[in-house]
Amino acid sequence: MSELVGEARAELKQASKEVKESENVAEKYSAMTVSKNSEMNMGDLSTVLSAVPTHKPVKKQIQFVEDKQEFSRFPTKTGRRSLSRSISQSSTDSYSSAASGTDSSDDETSPRDKTQVNAKGSSDFCVKNIKQAEFGRREIEIAEQDMSALISLRKRAQSEKPLAGAKIVGCTHITAQTAVLIETLVALGAQCRWTACNIYSTQNEVAAALAESGVAVFAWKGESEDDFWWCIDHCVNTEGWQPNMILDDGGDLTHWMYKKYPNVFKKIRGIVEESVTGVHRLYQLSKAGKLCVPAMNVNDSVTKQKFDNLYCCRESILDGLKRTTDVMFGGKQVVVCGYGEVGKGCCAALKALGAIVYITEIDPICALQACMDGFRVVKLCEIIRHVDVIITCTGNKNVVTRDQLDRMKNGSIVCNMGHSNTEIDVASLRTPELTWERVRSQVDHVIWPDGKRVILLAEGRLLNLSCSTVPTFVLSITATTQALALIELYNAPEGRYKQDVYLLPKKMDEYVASLHLATFDAHLTELSDEQAKYLGLNKNGPFKPNYYRY
Amino acid sequence: MSVQVVAAKMAEVDLKDIPSGKALPADSPVSPATEGKNIGKNEASSSAAMSPSAESSAKAGEGLLTPNPGKMPQASALKRTDPQQNGGEAFVNRDGTVAEAPRMKKIQFADQKQEFSKRPSKIGRRSLSRSISQSSTDSYSSAASYTDSSDDETSPRDKQQKNSKGNGDFCIKNIKQAEFGRREIEIAEQEMPALMALRKRAQGEKPLAGAKVVGCTHITAQTAVLMETLSALGAQCRWAACNIYSTQNEVAAALAEGGFSVFAWKGESEDDFWWCIDRCVNVEGWQPNMILDDGGDLTHWIYKKYPNMFKKIKGIVEESVTGVHRLYQLSKAGKLCVPAMNVNDSVTKQKFDNLYCCRESILDGLKRTTDVMFGGKQVVVCGYGEVGKGCCAALKAMGSIVYVTEIDPICALQACMDGFRLVKLNEVIRQVDIVITCTGNKNVVVRENLDRMKNGCIVCNMGHSNTEIDVASLRTPELTWERVRSQVDHVIWPDGKRIVLLAEGRLLNLSCSTVPTFVLSITATTQALALIELYNAPEGRYKQDVYLLPKKMDEYVASLHLPTFDAHLTELSDEQAKYLGLNKNGPFKPNYYR
Repeated sequence: MSELVGEARAELKQASKEVKESENVAEKYSAMTVSKNSEMNMGDLSTVLSAVPTHKPVKKQIQFVEDKQEFSRFPTKTGRRSLSRSISQSSTDSYSSAASGTDSSDDETSPRDKTQVNAKGSSDFCVKNIKQAEFGRREIEIAEQDMSALISLRKRAQSEKPLAGAKIVGCTHITAQTAVLIETLVALGAQCRWTACNIYSTQNEVAAALAESGVAVFAWKGESEDDFWWCIDHCVNTEGWQPNMILDDGGDLTHWMYKKYPNVFKKIRGIVEESVTGVHRLYQLSKAGKLCVPAMNVNDSVTKQKFDNLYCCRESILDGLKRTTDVMFGGKQVVVCGYGEVGKGCCAALKALGAIVYITEIDPICALQACMDGFRVVKLCEIIRHVDVIITCTGNKNVVTRDQLDRMKNGSIVCNMGHSNTEIDVASLRTPELTWERVRSQVDHVIWPDGKRVILLAEGRLLNLSCSTVPTFVLSITATTQALALIELYNAPEGRYKQDVYLLPKKMDEYVASLHLATFDAHLTELSDEQAKYLGLNKNGPFKPNYYRY
Repeated sequence: MSVQVVAAKMAEVDLKDIPSGKALPADSPVSPATEGKNIGKNEASSSAAMSPSAESSAKAGEGLLTPNPGKMPQASALKRTDPQQNGGEAFVNRDGTVAEAPRMKKIQFADQKQEFSKRPSKIGRRSLSRSISQSSTDSYSSAASYTDSSDDETSPRDKQQKNSKGNGDFCIKNIKQAEFGRREIEIAEQEMPALMALRKRAQGEKPLAGAKVVGCTHITAQTAVLMETLSALGAQCRWAACNIYSTQNEVAAALAEGGFSVFAWKGESEDDFWWCIDRCVNVEGWQPNMILDDGGDLTHWIYKKYPNMFKKIKGIVEESVTGVHRLYQLSKAGKLCVPAMNVNDSVTKQKFDNLYCCRESILDGLKRTTDVMFGGKQVVVCGYGEVGKGCCAALKAMGSIVYVTEIDPICALQACMDGFRLVKLNEVIRQVDIVITCTGNKNVVVRENLDRMKNGCIVCNMGHSNTEIDVASLRTPELTWERVRSQVDHVIWPDGKRIVLLAEGRLLNLSCSTVPTFVLSITATTQALALIELYNAPEGRYKQDVYLLPKKMDEYVASLHLPTFDAHLTELSDEQAKYLGLNKNGPFKPNYYR
């Protein structure tokens, strides 16, 4: 498994392959750290990869188990960001902001059995209740406020209609933010048919609003496994309409088409995939020589990565801890396990509030960065007795074990910002001598026989997903990246993209960033002709070589 | 005065280096000149122009007149994609000396000559024209030359010297200085724990046993520590200097006394320079199999003069931007028949050269020159690359109000998210107290901007050569220049407004601040590991191409420096390593990790 992951990642190709980098074997095959993003553990991954959904729907089910748990346990407002399919933090929701207006009034009839017609008389969709369209529209309008990049993209590209003729079939979370994306694509000339990539994440009223506006949407909250594939199939398999672009999140749609409609699949002009899982599956396909269309990996674009990890976590660590424990940070001793992007964000935020921060690391380069940034690099066991807060963000498992938990001082807080729920060995705390006391939503006191209490947040799941929210701004980055990737693939001259998996070209990445600068009232300086010539750059970018490390 | 000026020049050179990081070479579509010809030309012209003036100016000691503008170009040219651009030409015009370019290669030295001759003493000069990376060079600043005054005028080439073991296979200024040199080396060793640790760790296995390394770098105490480390690891070394002015004579003496064949002294002539290199390479019964180069001269010499020897080389380690660029040229032309390692672009080295070094030197440089208080000051930093990020972080920490200008939207967005206002320069130019350039570009601050600055505004450059601030535009009759301190000029407008210009627009961090040995230690360790990697790589791992240091080695460099911070690295358990699909010993990140 691990090898697969490693190799697949190692083969990431820059869209422009000019980088003259060392091809050295050691490096090339270096297995990569499964980034914190990968929300799934390896068990899931292998299942996903091997599963042929049609024949063995049961297998796929596995992925949902975690979601189900989370969702059933926290049915209310706590922001849940990551659904099993989309691994990137920003890929998903924030439903948190969108209270479901209609949950209570749901009838029990399956949407599949209902015939609904929108105001224009079209019934080529399947949603919970078309009457909720008005609520959904409001949600979408709110989201539009924070997604100025997509709106300005609409304006800038509307006249040329860069997606005219594009027939896009999409499979993503269906939320207000996605709706803004879909409507942007439509405004740019595309025809869209959409389905949900997760059986729980759909905002019914948003789906209704989309259906009302003429987008063929097949999705509702709480689909069954069977419904899920039925929706995907309906999306793809329609009389007189053949998709030529795929926008996918998780790779299910791609897989379905690849398996079920190989002829349609061959005619696809490009796939845009946003999740770690989906990207991984694409690399598998590509490796097996079975990928017959170009695909774009938008998950690893610079802008998106920075926002998913560094910027988002820098804020959510404080937010998450405050909401759950009301802890005061000044002077507190905190140990952060892992100094990757997430760890850097956490440390910066905590340091700014006056906390005394220690780091643990395994990678000497990151460790040296921590040193130079003024953090003490320690082993966890050396300071476990002193610290008030432990934050894990390694992407690894069993970073905090029972042994360490036993040695913590009374009242220390333990939480996870990293990877699924593996980092803290929570299972080891489920023993008879320890008492669990739920003191708040997402907050457990674990009490030792001697009276010592350890405060465990979100039962070791991701704090930022369980106890904090994802700003629409971050989702805007993702959506804009997806839109630009679609435009790039659709308009690329013959031959620019072969049958392979590409990273978003740097220039597009830069364009995503530039579309978001307006939010900050940021004024970008332009190169003069003379300066551009001096630097050997095009005035409009790209401004950095591919190997540049931001 | 003059001394300072020189420093400034060096700075320019460095500048080139820094920016190179950004715009740099690797993939640069640089003129695909067949092998180094383009470069050669540029260099030649520039050198020709430079050298005469350099000498004269050195004596005159007049910093103000300095042909700086001319010089800088060459370095930048090398790095950049369009070498000819302004570098060579502008420069030539100024001096008018271009006349006869002595030799192709000559060019490169012109710069250095000036620099060194002008500025013999302590001001930290970090970058010599050859090595563009900030950390690649010295800090001679720390090493006062004991013997300069006592120099006799005999050329070392004419002297017969033997070390205490009776060996005479070296050529240095004065073998008797060995003891002083040894002391320098010992001091340097204190601050280079990584190399010392490497000696200890690898001594048992002698990973370089059988390696015959011929080297061409600055010969300083830090390099000596590197050479002695290589030797401790089993290598035989012969060494020449990559710069005619940078050699620390007493260190060279100590090395010769220690049995190294060193051919270098401070103040070589052009002819001496190539003679030394040739002596290094061309010796009876000894054929080098590894090259450690800084600037590419040695590589070029062997390639041209001893093609048969060149073919048998197992690997080249090149550390400067210039040299790397030349290697890529060779490689592109299909003429590179041995694997080469580009250590300039290793993660660790880049971070230290730019981010960490500049984060400290911006404060240091400004304090030393102006004693400014930072709290509450409004500062605009032009450019938010690694250097800009470092500057901003430091200034913010001091309580300054920092504005940023950028051209790259990704970096611009980073600045926004880091809490800096992104502006255009002309929007804030009237209100700021300090303007700092670090773009790697030219004419970022022009006369028009300068005219609108408020009284007492400080203008300085952390970026690229001396191009960023259009200093030439300030040399007009209506403006009065007043040198108030070394490296500090007041430029006075007719209405009495003063602008404080630092280092005449050359690199502040090179002119007015120093490079810590710790940073040099990063470079030296990287070089040593690159040699080990190339030498021990199994057949076929490296083809005839230019490679980046493998991530694992990069990680190892970092890990060797951790003890300095008393940092305790956590180790993966077997189970965890398996879970992540990683080897317990690294590499820990994929290549594209940012």
